[in-house]
Amino acid sequence: MNVHSLTLPQAVAGTISVALLLVQLALLRSVVLAELITLYAVQSLFVAFISLAVGVQDRQWDLIVLAALTVAAKVVILPLYMRHLSRNISTRVEIPERINVTLSLIIAAGLMGVAILVAGALPLRTGAFLPQADLATTLAIVFVGFLVAILRPNALAQVIAFLTLENGLYFGTVTLAPGLPLVVGILLLIDVLVAVFVFAVLVRVLVEQSASASVDVLQRLHG
Amino acid sequence: MSPLVALIVAVPGVAAVASGLLPSCVGRPVTALAGLVTAAAIVALAWLTAHHQSPVDAVSALFLLPVAIVYGGAGLYSHWYVVAERDAGEAGEGYRREFLALTNAFACAEAVVPLLTNVAGMWVALEATTIVAALLVRLQGTDAALEAAWKYILIASCGLGLGLVAVVVLYASAGSALGMHHAPEWAAYMHAAKRLEPDGVRLSFIFALIGFGTKMGLAPMHTWLPDAHGSGPTPTSAMLSGIILSDALYVIVRFTAIANAAVGPGLARGLFFVVGLLSLFLAAFFLLQQRDVKRMLAYSSIEHMGIVACGFGFGVPLALTGALLHTINHSASKSLGFFAAGRLADRYHTREIAGIRGAASALPVSGGLFVVAALALAGLPPFGIFRSELMIVSGGFGSSAYVIAGIVLALLLVAFGGIVRWVTATTIGDPPDTIRRGEAAPYALAAMSIGFVVVLGLGLAVPGALGSLIAEAAAVIGGTS
Repeated sequence: MNVHSLTLPQAVAGTISVALLLVQLALLRSVVLAELITLYAVQSLFVAFISLAVGVQDRQWDLIVLAALTVAAKVVILPLYMRHLSRNISTRVEIPERINVTLSLIIAAGLMGVAILVAGALPLRTGAFLPQADLATTLAIVFVGFLVAILRPNALAQVIAFLTLENGLYFGTVTLAPGLPLVVGILLLIDVLVAVFVFAVLVRVLVEQSASASVDVLQRLHG
Repeated sequence: MSPLVALIVAVPGVAAVASGLLPSCVGRPVTALAGLVTAAAIVALAWLTAHHQSPVDAVSALFLLPVAIVYGGAGLYSHWYVVAERDAGEAGEGYRREFLALTNAFACAEAVVPLLTNVAGMWVALEATTIVAALLVRLQGTDAALEAAWKYILIASCGLGLGLVAVVVLYASAGSALGMHHAPEWAAYMHAAKRLEPDGVRLSFIFALIGFGTKMGLAPMHTWLPDAHGSGPTPTSAMLSGIILSDALYVIVRFTAIANAAVGPGLARGLFFVVGLLSLFLAAFFLLQQRDVKRMLAYSSIEHMGIVACGFGFGVPLALTGALLHTINHSASKSLGFFAAGRLADRYHTREIAGIRGAASALPVSGGLFVVAALALAGLPPFGIFRSELMIVSGGFGSSAYVIAGIVLALLLVAFGGIVRWVTATTIGDPPDTIRRGEAAPYALAAMSIGFVVVLGLGLAVPGALGSLIAEAAAVIGGTS
């Protein structure tokens, strides 16, 4: 398939897959939890659009419905919910000194290179929706998602990293296996569960810890 | 759907709803009965499959057997367990109902996995088991339990995420053979194996082994396992170790069969060696220095999954049948081990090996069965694991993989040393005076007798029907050509 035969949804989706990768890289330089949550929301909006584009192209109504659900859940409700939960805790995400932002971006670029090489070696092009970018983008998002989870000692940041990794899987399923809308739906459900259960539990634990810590401070002030 | 298959899924499903809604004094017998009925239905299905009169194939029937052994025992054991928790002042009525409902729901999800042949469906069902398992692990509400639960969800979901990449890449590799909108049925992939994109199948297998291998507890993706298996309620630990690991292996087996048929056995065998030897190595040395009974059993799970992976690596029929038999043996002896360890921990109010002394005198039956489970897990005759380990290792020597078979044997000895050391420490000698002696817990003892009968029986003889199931499943996996 050559570039000139791309349909409009494919062309726009190709551009958006680049934006998806950029968002994933931006996670590495962000030091505030709220910013990570916003990046996740933006990325979710992009994958929702990909789902919409494939749905329109292939006349698959389930993917269009899933796109709408994704916008409602992952772009609006979950990010607001997570920001609400984390309003009372320290939301600064420490960046370890040994691997600073520049170095981590270089590692991420290396991982993306690996993703492109692996994907480039595979002739999975027949009838694919994004023949140039589907597998490479999926693997790159997954790899960098793992990198963020490994490099950030903050548990909440790791949850966001996991959620963006899920976005990569969402993208991969929609573009590489458009016949599996059920899987896309399950992915959406897992995101909701992780955000509601894991994130909420972690915040609760952190709040308890900081509460006890502040009590210590008060006692020390009293002498 | 045949009535037996419907029964296997419906009984634990209905029991989950019933035990969630009804008071726990009703939920307890319901759970015990559901476990036994499901176990009977699975054994019947396996028997029919061995005689070619069943809607499922040999691989599915074989991997349902751990559900029968462990859920059959866990249902009975829970009958005792929730009362013991109440007497220890740890559990209210709400906890008991939630525990029983989740245990049955967990069994339902675990029984669905081996019944599926749709590759995407298997992934969905495994995700479902992850979520229910995390809810169970969290149930005791301690900080350690919460941490184990969220670690489990995140790591297992990350692993399953890679498993999904495997599903998706396989789907795309079949795009030209089966079309871009096909149903991802395993049989269809096997049928079209030679027309799949070979590099896509290879990549898909690598992701499947890493992703589902995480769920199976293979090193280096095993880090969640000791926490989750050590922190949850005892029946949950048994079901996590005895069923989830074999469920994950079931999915890997399906991917292995596709990879072997499409690109030959070389890739799968090499990768199985890498993860198998690494798991064995790590587990053998962690076993030497554990201090917690349940974590010890958890590391032993990693060891045994490593042995199974090595069996798949050797790839010859003797080693493959040994590896499949080993899965059943492991489920039986590990559930027996967890059930007995749970009894010990309840009596001594600790899971620290240092705090348990003279268990064989304080709890004559449970303490004795704990020794049996440990010796079985260490690979001593006359128990089933000895037989399957012998098959795997001699298969390895028979396939001229002398070095690897030698390493496996050496690591088995190290693990043996670790297990024997802590078993003698906990069971021999006199218990402290504060510990009550004797035991009367018929349901818990009945639960343990299931595992005991299986692990001893399979050491003495493998029933003909099981033998033919295993041989058929090994032939499906292939890998000898």
